[in-house]
Amino acid sequence: MFPDLRRDVLLPVVAGLALFVLFVGAGFLYQGLLGGYERLVTLALIDAILVLGIQIYVGNTGVLSFGHIGFGAVAGYAFALMAISPVEKAKRIANAPFGLADVHLDPWTSMAVAVAVVLVVAVVVGIGLARSGAESGAVSATVITLALLFVTHEVARNRPDLTGGDRAGLSFRIGGTLDSRIPLYVALLGAILTALLYARSRGGRLAIAAREDDLAARAMGVNPLVQQMVALLLSVAVVAVGAGLRVYERGSILPRDFFFNLTLVTLVMLIVGGRRSVSGALLGVGVITAGRELARRMGQDGFEFFGIGLDGAPLDWIFRENLKTVFLGVAMLGFMIWRPSGLLDDWDLDRWLHARLGGWRSRRQDRQGDGRPGLPPDVEPDDTDVLLVDGVSVAFGGFRALDNVSLEVGRTEVVGVIGPNGAGKTTLLNVVTGLVASDAGRVALGDTELTDAPSHQIARRGLVRTFQNLRLFGALTVRENIEVSALVASSTRRHCLPVDVDGLLVAAGLWEVRDRRARELDYGTSRRLELARAAAMAPSFLLLDEPTSGMSDAESLTMVDQVRRMAGLVGAGVMVIDHDLNFITGICDRVTCLDRGQVIASGTPAEVQADPEVQAAYLGTSAAN
Amino acid sequence: MVELLQNLIDGLGRGSIYALLALGVAVVFGVMHLLNFAHGELITVSGYAAFWALEAGWSWTLTVPLVIVVAVLTSLVIERVAFSRVRGADQFTLLLTSFGVHFVVFAMFLLYVSASVKTFPRPGWVTDTYALGSLRVEVFDTVVIVVTLATLSGTTFVLQRTTFGLSLRAAAADFDTARLMGVRSDSVIRGAFALSGLLAGIASVFWLMRAGSTVPSAGIDPMLKGVLAALIGGLGSLRGAVIGGFALGMAEVLLRSRLPDSVASLTEGVVFLLIALLFIFRPQGLVSVDHAERV
Repeated sequence: MFPDLRRDVLLPVVAGLALFVLFVGAGFLYQGLLGGYERLVTLALIDAILVLGIQIYVGNTGVLSFGHIGFGAVAGYAFALMAISPVEKAKRIANAPFGLADVHLDPWTSMAVAVAVVLVVAVVVGIGLARSGAESGAVSATVITLALLFVTHEVARNRPDLTGGDRAGLSFRIGGTLDSRIPLYVALLGAILTALLYARSRGGRLAIAAREDDLAARAMGVNPLVQQMVALLLSVAVVAVGAGLRVYERGSILPRDFFFNLTLVTLVMLIVGGRRSVSGALLGVGVITAGRELARRMGQDGFEFFGIGLDGAPLDWIFRENLKTVFLGVAMLGFMIWRPSGLLDDWDLDRWLHARLGGWRSRRQDRQGDGRPGLPPDVEPDDTDVLLVDGVSVAFGGFRALDNVSLEVGRTEVVGVIGPNGAGKTTLLNVVTGLVASDAGRVALGDTELTDAPSHQIARRGLVRTFQNLRLFGALTVRENIEVSALVASSTRRHCLPVDVDGLLVAAGLWEVRDRRARELDYGTSRRLELARAAAMAPSFLLLDEPTSGMSDAESLTMVDQVRRMAGLVGAGVMVIDHDLNFITGICDRVTCLDRGQVIASGTPAEVQADPEVQAAYLGTSAAN
Repeated sequence: MVELLQNLIDGLGRGSIYALLALGVAVVFGVMHLLNFAHGELITVSGYAAFWALEAGWSWTLTVPLVIVVAVLTSLVIERVAFSRVRGADQFTLLLTSFGVHFVVFAMFLLYVSASVKTFPRPGWVTDTYALGSLRVEVFDTVVIVVTLATLSGTTFVLQRTTFGLSLRAAAADFDTARLMGVRSDSVIRGAFALSGLLAGIASVFWLMRAGSTVPSAGIDPMLKGVLAALIGGLGSLRGAVIGGFALGMAEVLLRSRLPDSVASLTEGVVFLLIALLFIFRPQGLVSVDHAERV
């Protein structure tokens, strides 16, 4: 069960240490082989901290942020204002408000202040992002972050009493600069471990689930906005440390130090390496730092750089000053066109280690013929709550999608909803699960009123759905998909027995593919996983939207067993929408038929099938003969 | 009252240019769901074209059509080289591709021209004003407003009355369905980029006449204005983009003249803040467009 200490804590720590050693080692190798690159490597260490900070938010939530360097600017100035001696400040900003001119803290306390200030700003910005409906790839969220970058820049330029203004001559001098790399190493290791451990933590898992499919995550009881806020706070804290160190190392700060250029550089590093991977972020920092330096030298000296003295004259049109800026732009554009997920995509060292060890272990288990857990026993429903839909109506413009629809589902029955296309079946499911607001009527689970509650709340109360078009968390493994719901269930549905994830995997026939990524599964297996993922919420009711769509008759029949088994395993009632009459009659205790938003019949499958109105509306007149 | 009228005219002049830029952004967003951070590069490139032409002794009369043609061609080339390769990609890729185009163009001018500002003579009448009652109206603002209104009418005509316009609007409403209905995606996308380039070209003429200079990073400012105005109006809505452009111009002028001096220099920052607040409280923009997701 979660957390799996080895997979989610031990291996990330081991992988983090290894990545740290690799990155720092590569730095030493670089400066050792080429000579004279100490400063470049130092700066790369700081860039790595910034990029890892950005990765925590951008990588796990999927929201593109241009604003993290804006947070960096806030942190940089907060740090500088605290750390610079009053003597120095008197020369530049003698009239600083709030008595800031007299403050003098040691660098590490200043850093803590900077982090605290940035966290406060991030809470405000985060609420704004949440209000704007941030989700993976949301454009408005990206523009808000861009606005943040510009606002901080404008403020920095136009409040010289606080920042010294934007002229080169007005830069701060900090008394004594960073003269050792030790703090950088500590911060970098901290950043790597934070990024890895967060991605494997409960919050990180849920954030990634929402990144993969926002709607499905909410249907599994995840509140993406909370997870994004957590990711944002953690992320800006790391960025703040990086920004503070950057200022400390330089001994000065100017508005343009934390603006477009740094935003571009850090974003290129992140996307070239692979934004969804911590290893990728580090690789990107290395590749871009080395590449940019090479481009800079070649722009300056042409082929002379290699010391071979080749005649570079024919290439003079390329080897020009500012080649490094071209390099960055082309790297960003080229990767977006040809490899948008970066060099490593979502490969990460700890996951690779886990897969390796897991593969070795399961081969051994297979040889010994054990390790496959037994089927868990069925669970008796722990209450007799009834799902009640009472007089629900919904109109889209002038179209009445649902008109006074009522039905009841008990905990031990399977109720089918049938009807021709456009009858309002999926709309009914959307109303029950909070994706569509109703105009009238109510939805309740026992005594709990659920009418128009947010989607994730409804899921936590025990109404869990599947989707007609598959919505799995593609980047997560089969097991992790199920763990997402089990995680939410364990914290929000405490009265339920903890779901036995292993047993569920076996029962759903997914044990053999448990470590495969969900996006690699075939169609039938994906359907089974979606059902198992919903069951892992230990729901009171499973709501299935066309579970057999796209399946052959034989497959539909196995789905009957599958649904029965899953519902029995967690003691859930079932409401199922489908077209497939074999499936519906095979599984349902009762059936309700909708046509043009209205209930036209309900009863046992046989009764409903015999109903002339149903035959006319749904089966067509030919079937009536 | 007089001051308010004065602000109104200034705001209309400024807003006209923003409206042209925003409409170009919205047209492209409609067919590709691409928020084009490279839209300002049309002004950078045509700005250098204007600089070279004027330096070679061309008159502004000749330079104006050149600027417009260069903007249209640049728009088509950028589509061909970059955006045609990421059609249908996720938002993340689309946003960063346009950001990448911006930086490549920026870097090219840095590499082959120079980082320094290139100035060119502005037409003499740009700074002329005339009296209208007790108001001083710039000739330039008048020209901008008139030309913009004419351009918008022309664009409306094209969108409402031509097959291309119908395809474009259909594609903006629902690209996949439009394609199934026989709208040729290639030609409608290229047409959208050409139209976007044309609108940007006209905006560019005014932008350059007023600025009288260009630099490699000249595209950032017009890009931001166009993108923000399109967002204010509600992405995907062409009418909204025009309204957003005028709203942004008006807001800037009013803030600049009404804010106390101590914060007046922060106008840009305040505008950004207002826009962020707009997204927070009305994420769909001023003119809402329904984007229901099918589940």
